[in-house]
Amino acid sequence: MIATVVKLMARRLLAAIPILLVVSALLFCVLRLLPVDPAAMSMPPTATIAEIEVKRREMGLDRPLPQQYLIWLNDALHGDFGRSIVFRREARSLVAATLPVTIQLALAAMVLAAVLGVGGGLVMFHVRGTLFEPLADFVSILLLSIPEFLWGLILLFVFGVALHLLPFTGQVAPGLPLPHITGFLLLDALLVGRFDVFVSACQHLILPAVALGLAFSPTIMRVLRSSLFDIYHEDYIEQARLRGLSEGHILLGHALKNASLPTLTLAGVQFGILFSGTLLVEVIYSYPGMGNLMVDAVRNADLPLIQTIGLTYCVVVLVINTAVDSLYVLLNPKLRVR
Amino acid sequence: MCDSPKRGARTVLALQAKNLTVSARIDGAVVPAIRGLSFDLAPGKILGLVGESGAGKSMVGRAIAQLLPAGFAVTAGALLFEGEDLAQMAPARRRFLLGRAIAFIPQAPMTALNPVRTIGAQFDEHLARLGEDSRNDRRERAIAMLTAARLPNACALLGRYPHQLSGGMCQRVLIALAFSSNPRLVIADEPTTALDVTMHPQILRLIADMQRQHGTAVIFITHDLRLAAQLCDQVTVMYAGRAVESGPARAVLSSPAHPYTRCLQLANPSMRAERRALYVMPDQMPSLRQLQNMSGCHFAPRCPLVTEECRRIEPPTVAISAGRMVACIRAAATSGIASAQRPVAAPDISKRPVLQVEALAKHYAIGRGLFATAHTATAVRNASFSIAENEFVALVGESGSGKSTIAKLLVGLEQPSGGRILLNGEDLTDAAARRRALAAASIQMVFQDPQSALNPRRRVASIVTQAMEAGSRHASWDERLARTRELLGEVGVAADLAARLPGQLSGGQRQRINIARALCHIPKILIADEIVSGLDVSIQAQLLNLLARLRAELGFAMLFISHDLSVVRHLCSRVLVMYRGEIVEQGPIDAVFDDPQHPHTRALLSSVPPDAPETAWSSLDPAVPTE
Amino acid sequence: MATAVSRSLRSPRVLIALGMIACIAACAVFAGFIAPHDPGDQNLLSTLTPPAWAAGGDQNYPFGTDSLGRCVLSRLIYGARTAMLVAIFASLGAMVIGSVLAHVSGYFGGALDWIIGRMVDVWMSFPPVILSLILMVGLGVGLGKIILAIILVDWTRFCRVLRSDVLIVTRHDYIAAARLLGFTHWQTIVREVLPATLPLLITLVSLEMAIAVVVEAILSFVGLGVAADQPAWGQMIADARQYVYQSPWNLLLPILAIIFTVTAFNLLGDGLRRSLDVRLAEAGR
Repeated sequence: MIATVVKLMARRLLAAIPILLVVSALLFCVLRLLPVDPAAMSMPPTATIAEIEVKRREMGLDRPLPQQYLIWLNDALHGDFGRSIVFRREARSLVAATLPVTIQLALAAMVLAAVLGVGGGLVMFHVRGTLFEPLADFVSILLLSIPEFLWGLILLFVFGVALHLLPFTGQVAPGLPLPHITGFLLLDALLVGRFDVFVSACQHLILPAVALGLAFSPTIMRVLRSSLFDIYHEDYIEQARLRGLSEGHILLGHALKNASLPTLTLAGVQFGILFSGTLLVEVIYSYPGMGNLMVDAVRNADLPLIQTIGLTYCVVVLVINTAVDSLYVLLNPKLRVR
Repeated sequence: MCDSPKRGARTVLALQAKNLTVSARIDGAVVPAIRGLSFDLAPGKILGLVGESGAGKSMVGRAIAQLLPAGFAVTAGALLFEGEDLAQMAPARRRFLLGRAIAFIPQAPMTALNPVRTIGAQFDEHLARLGEDSRNDRRERAIAMLTAARLPNACALLGRYPHQLSGGMCQRVLIALAFSSNPRLVIADEPTTALDVTMHPQILRLIADMQRQHGTAVIFITHDLRLAAQLCDQVTVMYAGRAVESGPARAVLSSPAHPYTRCLQLANPSMRAERRALYVMPDQMPSLRQLQNMSGCHFAPRCPLVTEECRRIEPPTVAISAGRMVACIRAAATSGIASAQRPVAAPDISKRPVLQVEALAKHYAIGRGLFATAHTATAVRNASFSIAENEFVALVGESGSGKSTIAKLLVGLEQPSGGRILLNGEDLTDAAARRRALAAASIQMVFQDPQSALNPRRRVASIVTQAMEAGSRHASWDERLARTRELLGEVGVAADLAARLPGQLSGGQRQRINIARALCHIPKILIADEIVSGLDVSIQAQLLNLLARLRAELGFAMLFISHDLSVVRHLCSRVLVMYRGEIVEQGPIDAVFDDPQHPHTRALLSSVPPDAPETAWSSLDPAVPTE
Repeated sequence: MATAVSRSLRSPRVLIALGMIACIAACAVFAGFIAPHDPGDQNLLSTLTPPAWAAGGDQNYPFGTDSLGRCVLSRLIYGARTAMLVAIFASLGAMVIGSVLAHVSGYFGGALDWIIGRMVDVWMSFPPVILSLILMVGLGVGLGKIILAIILVDWTRFCRVLRSDVLIVTRHDYIAAARLLGFTHWQTIVREVLPATLPLLITLVSLEMAIAVVVEAILSFVGLGVAADQPAWGQMIADARQYVYQSPWNLLLPILAIIFTVTAFNLLGDGLRRSLDVRLAEAGR
């Protein structure tokens, strides 16, 4: 069984490589269409036109587009993703500094979304047929209609500004040191033994994670409810009843196991979308993750940085989707064994 | 586990229905789905509940489990299991009995097991509930039961998932599950209907053997009269929710007392007797809604012996001899009902073949991928046959034998991998010729499932004349309406149904529309893919007579695909037997059926219960060893 | 079709949703008549005034003013126009591209299906937010550009979801029967397949409208949306965020407007899904 899963993951990852190539090429082309001159931007304002021309030739901007892409690709395969024009640092190091922050936020939010989603889904399923059903349904549609950035703003206003309960700027309280071992602040704080940093980081994580979690839980809720609903109409549930099993046993032993399949798949896909939703939440909470970096890069038309960050987002989403696909095969006996 | 009562003291009936009435609330009125049903089932006996769909037989099974559909409830009478009323029982007590003393064998075995849990896990769960505490004991018992169900390699089976098993194997697992608690009552609801025909005798025999072994009482629900005659001790025939006749199985079915039972017998095509037109009962069984407004005997509208009195008062159930009851005032005249029609005239078959198939083959490539090697699956291999004008040829075989593939190849829905198809001399394997043939409407197909074959958004008139809408042929609406009237008249559907949607028609009517559509531009040859499978016997009889009449009036040849040998014998003059993609035997029907050469043909023939209830069915004989 | 429409109109969800959408549409269409002021009128003497019901409020400006003295109510009403324009055109555009490709892909199968499927895979491996940001960088700001960006990002969702439905419909025998009766591919798709996939299509359009409103708000929020002089809810939020301590209402009101609109479209989509899908309607889901 492990062998089949590993083989499957390897196959998917290999299939993802051409996708990555195409994606990076598309990104490259779209960005080159901008009316922006990277050479001029990377020179001081006093540079002459001749000097800019030299810079252009140096950056390879006079070559044909496909050749430029291949040069970029060659560099990228050696680990060189270009220099950020705005920050004057290697794009790679900027991304390496901010990616763990975003991953940490995304994971925390996903856990919250899963807990809320499964709990809410079970509640919604429980009230089916009763008077509470239309109410529960309306609440779930309402929740579904509030995107993460609005949640971010609402929570910021209510808990941050109005009630002064939780902090809403940055990753930790100002003045505290930022230990850096793995890049995941919560983990690093524990490893170094600084509980005050840990507590402060948790406090700063709450609002953004809750905003993201609330935004993505309704989909999970609804899919769990409708999967359970579908499953309860299946023959084998009725047969289980005819064999005398109790309703509780049927729910736990049969229905949930079968419902977990579509729910997990959807949750996996949602994680990909959630990961890209971190961008807005980071902007709202001034959280120093990759999203904030991206917005800065976009505002300043910092092409190498946009390219690198865009590619990183795609890679993360592709890895998540591959993992979800493999998980689906692992859980579904029809696909796992012939 | 419950103790079975001692062998000597078997006075308590396993199941007894006393005037059982199950009703539903429809449009504010209370309509009975089962009325006044009474039967006695002694321990260790098999009672057959026989009837067509809608008669209420499955409802009895649900009433026993008290898992009635929403809106239905037991409104009168009692259903006693060993003296306790199931309807009045406390839910906890009833749940205690289910799976232990009362077990069920379902109709659709493939979906009756949880697809994401192994067989072993589900067996284990069942045995744990029954009180086996030790995991090892449970495993031993599971293996013992699976082996008793004649499943090979029971140990390995425990680790398998339902989708890895065939339908027949799944059903054996379910039978093993049902009998593992030593139940005193088993309800088998059409346990073989969803399985391949050659599986039927094996499963039935398994049920019979298990029943004998454990001394269980069985309620066997079926629509097949002949099957009930062979398997059951007692039989109750149901019509529109009421038991119209009951008694010892062989007696009831060799000399039926109720007109409905007799008509049903006559509507069944036979395997041995001389060919005659099938007895056709007009219309169909009244639905629940229609029952509301009916008075008198519910069979009166269709009964050949009906009198004024029948329509006024509902006939009481009377005993006509020891253990035989019938609900009819004209029971004495029943034996006089016969198919008064002439035997079906043998049609003129010309010598010219309209369709010739030579060495037809179809392979599918499966398992193609970057890292997997490509396998080929052969659906059809080296098929050769021909069909003459006005000839009805049957193509029989089980699921997976390739019959549907041949149908698709003939009409062009699939491309052959090899061989030739000649229609009126033109080679159809060439795409241009195929288009010409379609344009000339020389070959048409009638699909099996009218649910899937009729566009639910089109009205009947639009469906039957759909051919007039195609391509560049644009017929006016008036022309189409005229043709609709003609076609509906030919297939025997009332003209005022032309404005209806398929969802508003009955199964039989939908199938007639299906046929009408294919006949819009009269084809030279019609491919009928299992068009009467899954229909009630009386509806099936109507359609078979219709096809014979249409051939006499319009003149066309037909390739009739079916798995039902008696139907095929009635309608067709030649037969092709398919097994695993090859035509293993072909020839005139009587010759092939009387003296089958190929083992598969023999297996198919032995799966059909004999016509006469007195004849013992060899497949069920415990002395004959199973393969 | 007629029965489906009447069934939809009896569904409470659909009716409530249509009512809500009618309000927003009314604001959008009649903005000139309803709004008390021109949304671009700056009154630098009374900036950040609270709404009329709070202390210090002015009857002239029922919902107060923003940091440049512009009437918040007027900007909200004109913002509805932006939102509706984006919702309608973006979703219709995505629908046209997505459904054409879905039908071609699902009906014909084979190589065509494979190519379109790979295109969709590549497209969808871009997280939507990132892709729309990058597209806006490339296309520049403006209402038309936003609509184009949303169409280019979201047609893939239409395509993928509709394709599964097309596959299910095509498997039915009546499609094969139509071909056998002599229907051309085009006739079959238009007369047999499309009427069956239409319910899902309509539901998806409604849900897409909800998404379009959100995306427009996001883009305006990051400053890559409509031009600065055009009123948009996202822009109002971005602006109000800086002054959240002084005038919290300026932040809350556009947020409520967005939630109201998106809920309306989601409710409509959900209601239509239940009443148009015959199978669901019968099962009472």
